[in-house]
Amino acid sequence: MKQKIPKILSHIILIIWLLFAVFPLYWTFVTSFKKPIDVFQGPKYFPFIDFQPVLTAWKNLFIRDWAQILPPYMNSIIIATISAFLAVIIGSMASYALSRFRFRWRFFSNKDISFWIISQRFFPPIAIVIPVLILFRVLKLLDTRSGMIIVYTAFNLPFAIWLMKDYFESIPQDIEEAAMVDGCSRFQAFLKIVIPLAYPGLITAFLFSFVMSWNEFLFALILTFQNARTIPLIIAGQSTQRGIEWWNISVLAIITILPALLITIIIQKKLISGLTFGAIK
Amino acid sequence: MAGFKKIKIKHIFILPTVLILFAFGIFPAVASLLLSFTNFSLAKVGEGFSFVGLTNYLRLFSDARFILSMRNTFIYVILGVGFQYIVGMFLAMLIYEETKINKFYRVVFLIPIMLTPVAIGYTWRMMLHGTYGPINHLLSIINLPGIPWLSSTIVAPLTIMLVDFWQWTPFMILALLAGRMSISPEYYEAAGVDGASKAQVFAYITFPILLPVSLTVILIRAIEVAKIVDIIYVLTGGGPGVSTESITLYGYISGVKQFNLGYASSIAYTILVAIMVFGFIFLRLKERFK
Repeated sequence: MKQKIPKILSHIILIIWLLFAVFPLYWTFVTSFKKPIDVFQGPKYFPFIDFQPVLTAWKNLFIRDWAQILPPYMNSIIIATISAFLAVIIGSMASYALSRFRFRWRFFSNKDISFWIISQRFFPPIAIVIPVLILFRVLKLLDTRSGMIIVYTAFNLPFAIWLMKDYFESIPQDIEEAAMVDGCSRFQAFLKIVIPLAYPGLITAFLFSFVMSWNEFLFALILTFQNARTIPLIIAGQSTQRGIEWWNISVLAIITILPALLITIIIQKKLISGLTFGAIK
Repeated sequence: MAGFKKIKIKHIFILPTVLILFAFGIFPAVASLLLSFTNFSLAKVGEGFSFVGLTNYLRLFSDARFILSMRNTFIYVILGVGFQYIVGMFLAMLIYEETKINKFYRVVFLIPIMLTPVAIGYTWRMMLHGTYGPINHLLSIINLPGIPWLSSTIVAPLTIMLVDFWQWTPFMILALLAGRMSISPEYYEAAGVDGASKAQVFAYITFPILLPVSLTVILIRAIEVAKIVDIIYVLTGGGPGVSTESITLYGYISGVKQFNLGYASSIAYTILVAIMVFGFIFLRLKERFK
């Protein structure tokens, strides 16, 4: 009996938290099926019970507004995919090098290089973006996909390197050394032996980088204005353009959140070590 | 000869990373610092610019808006992250046992973490709307007055923290949970023999062991919150007035909206230095507790 009451209490607390965590997503989902009147008559909670769901907002987005939504959505997909891919390629080379070779330049050793790489991630983006804005104006990279790909590759690189370093360190060096004795070059050994073994790590790093670029706002806000705008900017612009057409905004929010949500669930086991740069496993 | 070859290959592997981090790490950091001593403005690119010494930094001290945004950011970091930590720790202690239902909680709890902040901001804006939002409606059902979530200068900063709390408390839960699960059961067996209460076990065993993990997660979250901008941009736009404006948002406004890149750089550098000092103190603390 003494044990029972705290047990029940703890379940009540956990269920309250569960509702708190899920309710915003539920609300967005149901709102996307509302007619304007279902919004303006005060909150309606349950489809089919206190309001009749309709597909108007979904049709609005995918038919009426599709021509305006598709370009930024494609920008987001292309920029996030390519920048994540580049971050994994460039990052895997660096994390391989850091896990296999010893660097020494004055008092600068492997540990310092790793620390330097990770410290980049803690820089406030506002301090980075202002010089990049000026640089991109000169290089004519403002408002281009290429520009955003370059920025996001750089932005994701520290993440990717730290995630993959663990994987490379866990792969025994004997296998590569054996291959190199058999006449493989270092680069071939890296490509044909280490990369396939580190595959899960590369995928995790890719997915992580993808979500980071997908969600990024400040760089996109400052460095794009028309052609290379990404989907978060479109959402942010909705209030001024549309007032509170919440049914439409909800659909947009759902298609924006969806890729991030799926990836979060896929990489859940790696989430913590990813977000803490491996400081906590 | 062999040694020479080896040196070459390892440098080729790391060179792309070093170049990119120079271009987007060291170059901008130095350029920002230099810019912060100039009156560079996007509105007057043709006229050139000149070095103005410490003028921008001196101006910061008398800029009420800067001081307010600094204060807001500070509140978001201290109060927001502190609260996330306490609640995160509490919830982690409720779900550390390996049961089926706890595994379910862990998966559902992590959902908010990586969702697009701008979209999340909108979702909360809908929910907190004074007349059409469900939150005030639910409060009225249980006879509580509606809360001016986004329109009061006192409540709005708390609302910003609420949304960040919703999104990032799960991170605290999961990190502390991982830490709790890695503690060897032996520690607790000894305490069980001595008949220690749950609170004592937490205070004398769990909490001290989790201290290094705690410091790490608090540091990481504090740095992230110090850079907060997207949620504020969507929820309140910095308003009402400038009551929710963060330092990054103010840097954006003065740099990009008001074209004053020199001054914006000095704002950005202030937060950069603040983060560095904060990080340094924390790392020192962490060394001590290791």
